[in-house]
Amino acid sequence: MVKVNEKLEEELQAIFSGEVPWITIVWDDPVNLMTYVTYVLMELFGFNKEKATEIMMKIHTEGKAVVSTGSREEMERDVARVHEFGLWATLQRGDQQ
Amino acid sequence: MSDLQKGFYPHGDNTFLANFSESEREVLINLSEQIIELLAERIDHHSNDPLAAMVGITSHDTPPEDEVLLRLLPNAYSDQVDASEFRRYTESTLRQKKQAHAMAMRTSLKSATDGIVEIDRNGANDWLGAINDIRLALGVRLNVEENTPEELQLLKSGDPMHGVYAVYSWLGWLQESLLEAVMNGRQ
Repeated sequence: MVKVNEKLEEELQAIFSGEVPWITIVWDDPVNLMTYVTYVLMELFGFNKEKATEIMMKIHTEGKAVVSTGSREEMERDVARVHEFGLWATLQRGDQQ
Repeated sequence: MSDLQKGFYPHGDNTFLANFSESEREVLINLSEQIIELLAERIDHHSNDPLAAMVGITSHDTPPEDEVLLRLLPNAYSDQVDASEFRRYTESTLRQKKQAHAMAMRTSLKSATDGIVEIDRNGANDWLGAINDIRLALGVRLNVEENTPEELQLLKSGDPMHGVYAVYSWLGWLQESLLEAVMNGRQ
């Protein structure tokens, strides 16, 4: 039996169980109004106004923020919905931030 | 304050109204049509696979060369291979959804009575998305990334970009009024 170290074992297990989380990132944009970004986050992700405003401020000040976590398929759906409303989002594996 | 200066305002639980002048309506109709046409430029006329076209798969797997189209149809992955694959399966749906927002905006403008546009919650989302796409398109042309609002405000009245910036700012104000009307209704 092949010996694998603990970290690799965890990694492999995560891959096969499909548990490696993916993330959706929304990027800052100089055109979109702050109120609009807040509204889109509330509307698409169900955040309350306070939480949506907090994430919007993070996007505004740090240039980006994670808005959702889940399977790759779920994140692809989220990115498509965000793009429909004109915010720029990308998805990536959560461990490659 | 006259209706002309307040943009959108709530009317009952699920209705939002705005009173536009004839020229404002013409500008908005014209801009919504430009977005519809711009997005149509990406439609794949050469696709000879009707089944692929039916399920929304296009042969587009490279990002648009036009800067405005790229802003409206951005990459979903930083990795180019993943981005191309995603684009191939999703771009035509995204394009259609954006066109649908702009078409809904145009329809409500064309069916306005006495200059008053009336929309419901779904219509408000169409308008918000469509106004945003128009602002993104104008923002690219105005080079908003590099030019600050202060610099853009200083454009001379003879500068062709002066008028574009005026429309861009007005649309931001209009979008803000609709956001306020919709968000106050939520609480």
